[in-house]
Amino acid sequence: MASKIVTFTLNGRRIEVLVKPLTTVQTLLRDQLGLTSTKAGCKQGGCGSCTVLVNGDPMMSCLLPVEDVQGQDVTTLEGLTPTPGLHIIQEVFYENFAVQCGYCTPGMVMVSKALLDHNPRPTREEIIDALTGNYCRCTGYEPIIQAIEEAARRMNGN
Amino acid sequence: MNTREYFLPQSVNEATQLLAKHGPFMLVMAGGTIAMPLINEGISFPQKVMGLRRAGLSYVTKPNGKITIGAMSTLTQMLDLKEIPILQEAAHQVGGWAIRNMGTVGGNLFAPPPAGDFAAALMALDAQLKLVSTAGARIISLTDFYTGFMTTALSPGELVTEIQVPVPTGKMAYLKYGRKHANTPAVVTVAAQIELDGEGVTNSRIALNAVGPHPIRASKAEEILSGSPLNPATINMAASAAAEECEPFSDAIATEWYRRKMVEVYVRRTLTKITDRR
Repeated sequence: MASKIVTFTLNGRRIEVLVKPLTTVQTLLRDQLGLTSTKAGCKQGGCGSCTVLVNGDPMMSCLLPVEDVQGQDVTTLEGLTPTPGLHIIQEVFYENFAVQCGYCTPGMVMVSKALLDHNPRPTREEIIDALTGNYCRCTGYEPIIQAIEEAARRMNGN
Repeated sequence: MNTREYFLPQSVNEATQLLAKHGPFMLVMAGGTIAMPLINEGISFPQKVMGLRRAGLSYVTKPNGKITIGAMSTLTQMLDLKEIPILQEAAHQVGGWAIRNMGTVGGNLFAPPPAGDFAAALMALDAQLKLVSTAGARIISLTDFYTGFMTTALSPGELVTEIQVPVPTGKMAYLKYGRKHANTPAVVTVAAQIELDGEGVTNSRIALNAVGPHPIRASKAEEILSGSPLNPATINMAASAAAEECEPFSDAIATEWYRRKMVEVYVRRTLTKITDRR
């Protein structure tokens, strides 16, 4: 089995990893690097709980071979969270009761981050559209949508 | 997972050489949104896989009268194609944002129904495919590309590298009907392009997906429209013909019976939408 060394930027730090052929970014993060904020939900690209940002764009880490991110910039929830404290998006999720069981939350936060980076003042429809690939079976989505609206307000300084 | 080798060619040339060397036992993967779930689930366990993300096939160019799309262009990239709104609509209705960032135009051609709606839109636009092997390149129409369920006209050693879409001259409409508003497999998808000379139809292309072994043309419906005025009577006739000639299947989304009913409804609605746009 031809394992390969892959170099990429993870949460702002250049890292070098040795992976077996076709190892996914999800497996690397969770099983090799111990970064478990990226969840393993359906492993089918259907639930969004494993969403990470590749060069700022959301992707399903369960479908993404590590070798494909050679030289790219990958961000997970660990990279978003300041020490100490919380990112604004995490704060508003907490304050708006947008978290229940929490399993979808890392994916939801990562998509929200990408959305607000691409579009600092999203409409409600644009928020819903961005969240389409992320399933939440607890909240009914409304608190999540409101949290993102609140995050947009705070990040735009009003 | 017991994949022993994962190749990531840096050019089309390298990709076709790998394909010539490792042959049909190597899985060729584009965005991975179809292959990876099967591998993760243990349904498919290819020994050799070739990923195409670095093969330099992610581009859109617009030479005269044509739009050429590199096979590894993502569906997200298609959202910028303002010249062809039905391709924007078709791309937007695939998956969610992250899936559109990964799923590719070339890969969608190989998505078994009920997936593969983008290919249906391309079919209505008379798209041509560029197939490349170490022996050279050839162009084939997308309509002729499909030969059966998950089988195509690709010869051993060939890759789809480019999709060429003539800039449309007719009026177009695209309707996908699923069980949810978004991120849903299709019950039926209809894409149509109609060229009109005054009231009469001079040329029509109607493509259906999720109601056959691959995206299909509704050729009997097209024949009915040809030379006729595009009015409610001919639209109804074409819609019934499409429902009759399609080959729907039953799955977790819909039964064969329901899909056939919905072909009639959605072909009618798609064509009516075109008349409304006049």
